[in-house]
Amino acid sequence: MAEEVSSQMNSLSISETNPSSSATISLVSGDDIVFKVEPTIAKEMETVQSFIDETDGKITTIPLPNISSHDLPYVIEYCEKSIAGKITKEFEAEFVKKLNNEEVKELFLAANYLNIKKLLDFLSQVIADRIANKSVEYVRRYFGIENDFTPEEEAKLREELAWTFTGVDPDDEDEN
Amino acid sequence: SKRRRLMMFLPHELIIQILLRLPVKSLMRFKSVCKLWFSLISYDSHFANSHFQLTSSKHTCRILFLSNSAPQTRSIDVETSLHDDSSAGTLNFMPSYLEIKGSCNGFIYFKDFGIWNPSNGVHKEIPYSPIHSNLDANCFFYLYGFGYDHTRDDYLVVSMSYNPDLDPISSRLEFFSLRANTWEEIEGTYFPYMNASDDPRVGSLFKGAIHWLACHSDKSINVIVAFDLTERKLLEMSLPLPDDFDLDPNFCDLWVFGEFLSLWSMGNDSVEIWVMKEYNVHSSWTITLVIPIHGISTQYFSPICCTNIGDIIGLDGTGLVKYDDKGQLLEHRSFGIDEHGSQVAVYVESLLSLPGDRVQA
Repeated sequence: MAEEVSSQMNSLSISETNPSSSATISLVSGDDIVFKVEPTIAKEMETVQSFIDETDGKITTIPLPNISSHDLPYVIEYCEKSIAGKITKEFEAEFVKKLNNEEVKELFLAANYLNIKKLLDFLSQVIADRIANKSVEYVRRYFGIENDFTPEEEAKLREELAWTFTGVDPDDEDEN
Repeated sequence: SKRRRLMMFLPHELIIQILLRLPVKSLMRFKSVCKLWFSLISYDSHFANSHFQLTSSKHTCRILFLSNSAPQTRSIDVETSLHDDSSAGTLNFMPSYLEIKGSCNGFIYFKDFGIWNPSNGVHKEIPYSPIHSNLDANCFFYLYGFGYDHTRDDYLVVSMSYNPDLDPISSRLEFFSLRANTWEEIEGTYFPYMNASDDPRVGSLFKGAIHWLACHSDKSINVIVAFDLTERKLLEMSLPLPDDFDLDPNFCDLWVFGEFLSLWSMGNDSVEIWVMKEYNVHSSWTITLVIPIHGISTQYFSPICCTNIGDIIGLDGTGLVKYDDKGQLLEHRSFGIDEHGSQVAVYVESLLSLPGDRVQA
């Protein structure tokens, strides 16, 4: 499914290639798919813009090895809405609805790599909302954190903080 | 075909950005994720301050209900049903008699005892004030308050008292600075105030000042006095009511209604809610709501806080009552009459610590 989408994206970006629009910027994902974007979009991505600035605008093809062709369209969509001033609560809710927790995490890393402050702030709130009612075990798996408490220490902590262990959602196996 | 994805892990500084946006209860639970998270959430005052500021628009506001006859606490999220309570930790230091005299930034001030943050267990004892400690002095304490001075990052416990044997009456204003860890008295100022009602008052914290109802002892009228926590000065404001209005100070008090300083006043069958639309502008006092109280068996209702959508929660003498913003009775929860008395405080969840405090897990 995802492969279909990315190949569509690929053909889309190729069909959009147009010799007269030399000003467009080509973003190349880690899996070598090219996305053509307007320079105004690139401005939203601080990492991309500083790359363009450093080369005096001579280089317009920018490799983004850390970002997959799955994530890049989302980033571009968000940046387009952002420059159009159309980031609304409704758009944001719709935007993340189709992303599972792993995908949100990936996109969060992409936003960090591209240095898009608004997207980074938004996604950190999305992740916070999604893990707020999760178990300690889920959170350890989600962030890849090893439990370094002894069983005695952990049991003692849980006893002291028993009131915080109420209302926790059961772990969803599909999520991880 | 599902795309194979490697599990990606976030660096610690990015994880912090997420943790800063979590509710306090989640963070307290996640203290048991690992030792790094434990110390970040328990001891890092920079993290706690950033968290408090970043989540300021959606602090969880709770009502703490303490019974003097049983060492148990109940805590209710004001945005949920009054019947939906959870324990708010335990008072691991149970003084024989608890009197709540203020609440600010998640901390609750107990008279003659100290300050406690029910969300993270942080507490600190406050010594008796010099006036209180002087056994020869005949002093009546009638105003108490607790607040935060953001210019100095300091918390102040404030009390006003006077000696009823002296004429004319002049109150003494003392405050304890958590940062300086000492009591100080404001001297050289004449405070012609005394108690407006029989019982001591707990101040309402609003716009960096603590507000009380008091009686101006020279003019024999009731006024609002406000202690500005930054300027450390006492201001006086007039009440909204016309002079001939029969205000029984035992059945009215100040509180904060949403974004306004407000006065409630109870009559035989209703409670009037006044708000000061523009701070310290007397002509801006407006009566905003009249709540009928015939549906309450005790015929008593004193508002204590409001919800995000403007519902009003208050006390009826046996428990909690909730009205909507039109004065419709929504919910009632009785805790029963407690012969040893009970105490209620409204507080927000916070991870904050006090200057120089002792930290508990």
